[in-house]
Amino acid sequence: MITFQVRARLAAALLAVAAGAFVVPVAAAHGPDPVLSGGLFAQSQSLEFRWRAGAEPPAAIRTAIRAAADDIGTTRASKAATFVYDSAGANPIGYGAGATCGVNGLACFTRSAPSGFTLWLREQGHAFDWGTLRWCQMYTTAPNGCYDAETISLDEFGHVEILNHHVNYSDDRDYDDAVVQTFSRTKPGTGWNMHVLGRCDVATLQREYDVLSWTTDYSTCLDIDTVLTLSASPASIAADASTTLTAALKVVDRDTYERLGGNPVSSRIVKLQRRSVGATTWVAVGTMSAGASGTYSLAVRLARSSEFRAIFSTPADEGLNGDTSPTVTVSVSGCTDPCPLSAGR
Amino acid sequence: MVESRWFRRAGPGVVALGALALVASATLAAGERPWVPPPCAGDAITGPIRAGSGAWFRIDPKLESGERRGQRLVVGVAGRVRSRAIGLDSESFAAGPFGGRILVGTDDGLASRLSLLDPAAGCAATIGTASDVIRRATLSPAGDAVLEFRVDRRTRADLGVWRRSLRDPGDVRRLLPPIRPDGRFGPTWSTEFAWSHDGAALAVQSCGEAACRSRVVDLRDGSVRDIADPELGELVGLDREHLVVRSACRGLPCPLYAVAIADGRRTSLGDAGAATVTADAAGRAWAVFERDASGGLRSVRLDGSAATDLPPDPSGLRLIAPASRSGSGTDLAPGWIVTGPDGRLLLDGPVGPRARRVPDGLTVPFEEVSR
Repeated sequence: MITFQVRARLAAALLAVAAGAFVVPVAAAHGPDPVLSGGLFAQSQSLEFRWRAGAEPPAAIRTAIRAAADDIGTTRASKAATFVYDSAGANPIGYGAGATCGVNGLACFTRSAPSGFTLWLREQGHAFDWGTLRWCQMYTTAPNGCYDAETISLDEFGHVEILNHHVNYSDDRDYDDAVVQTFSRTKPGTGWNMHVLGRCDVATLQREYDVLSWTTDYSTCLDIDTVLTLSASPASIAADASTTLTAALKVVDRDTYERLGGNPVSSRIVKLQRRSVGATTWVAVGTMSAGASGTYSLAVRLARSSEFRAIFSTPADEGLNGDTSPTVTVSVSGCTDPCPLSAGR
Repeated sequence: MVESRWFRRAGPGVVALGALALVASATLAAGERPWVPPPCAGDAITGPIRAGSGAWFRIDPKLESGERRGQRLVVGVAGRVRSRAIGLDSESFAAGPFGGRILVGTDDGLASRLSLLDPAAGCAATIGTASDVIRRATLSPAGDAVLEFRVDRRTRADLGVWRRSLRDPGDVRRLLPPIRPDGRFGPTWSTEFAWSHDGAALAVQSCGEAACRSRVVDLRDGSVRDIADPELGELVGLDREHLVVRSACRGLPCPLYAVAIADGRRTSLGDAGAATVTADAAGRAWAVFERDASGGLRSVRLDGSAATDLPPDPSGLRLIAPASRSGSGTDLAPGWIVTGPDGRLLLDGPVGPRARRVPDGLTVPFEEVSR
């Protein structure tokens, strides 16, 4: 079962190829993984797999494949599909005999999103020009030169989701940023036994399937602009009364952000600053309390009219860019500035 | 496929032995009696050889506790000869059929041995051995030579492509040097041969883990063209002017291109599932591929023209790809392709394979196509 919808952004490139131009969709090095053609699965769709009759993997490989399925579930940080073993599952995973892989590679797949997929792993002992395939899991003590079946299965599950091979820097210093790699590594090479999705795998999964929740961290392989707005309610108060400043933090709604565009961004640190009307220096008021759906609020008592702004600083541990809200003025009536009892409020 | 009288001309280079019987029968299924083909001799396999013999093979790894211990080769002739199983070493291959003959290579860890099987005549002939590992081989269109890709037994270093004359056993020459290392492709995982249907061009494709490069030898003038684009992957087939290759995908569907041998210019043929290249009765090459999830087929000339769609097989059979992907080969008349369960040549299942003719889609049982 194979699906053949060509995604819009790929179509233009393919048309160019058809027209003779030597154009191939290429991702910039170190960016999120490029994507395959074809459709997506539903958000958080559960894909049940079974072992293919007559081509069932040996126990050690079965364990590795199931572990890789768990790895997807625990590290996807997105609403990408999940993979679950079910003896009656619709999606067969085979091993060795009958594999319809091409001539190269350790494993292969077909994807027909949203209906399903197939997956094959080569058998232990498969002969390639360079030598004989050895799966680390087939040994009590894995020898150097073996391939980790969990890592390779994780790579294949990533392909099934939509991920194409990560485009590395020329010196491969970012190899660990993705498990979905063109070149697999053997023990003990760096990354030979990655059992988590890399940040640039996650980046594409987030872009294509959306983040798991508004509180989910955005992959540091992304470079996402945010927009922060601020409002006051009420915007006019009597002296020494309170008003609540409410900020809303969202991802900028750009087409290139795909499913991430316009997302509320919750549970981050948003700070409020204040200055008197006409002043130039901002003074910290405090950290706003995180509410639902990317909102942040803080109540303040004021004795005189003030300007406020909210600030979301660029975090070091995720791929969001900070933003500063426009200035909001809260008008205070009932006394003449300076109010004798305001004492700095 | 051109007519060939290869065996008639083979002369002393061919040492007729029941070589395949030397392989341990342990690689066959429990209780399965191995076929021990007798040596071919006399007129048993001589005479004009035409495409469309109906000969077929399927090769599968034989596993024990998940580890390859050998391979099982099953051969037959559609509608005429029932399947016969042969056990091969773990490192082994089958190629063809070439006008009814199947080229078999098997390596026991000490030496590689090449044999030609004739399922119709029920015999085999050893055609050569080597202390290096013969990874793949093919027959020349004239049937007078075997082309072998070899690697060093100890280091697995590429030793190039060698031409072994079937007329003179001492005439073994290197046709192509080892392919140059290229970091864009990485170590070579597989090397495959493919002929244009007119036998004028030979493609030798060397694949890294994902991307492949091809050297195309024009047998008319001996020239060699390199197609080395890391965006390209597995070879599907060729004619004199074009290679049909996939993008460097690990899965399907995958973009399929016709690449001009002269200048590398690509023509997109579409996103493809299984794919093959065949020639019609007039010798014109067609790419045939699954165009959609239901197994609907599209045939298209290699210049991108004359695209014709065929409906899916009503039994759900899928296009059987070339041997490098499907592990099976058939020798049908020009213009015919084969479909089978899961894209595999399975003759003892509940639903047998079928042959379809392109571009008109005429469909017949596989056993009937060669009659």
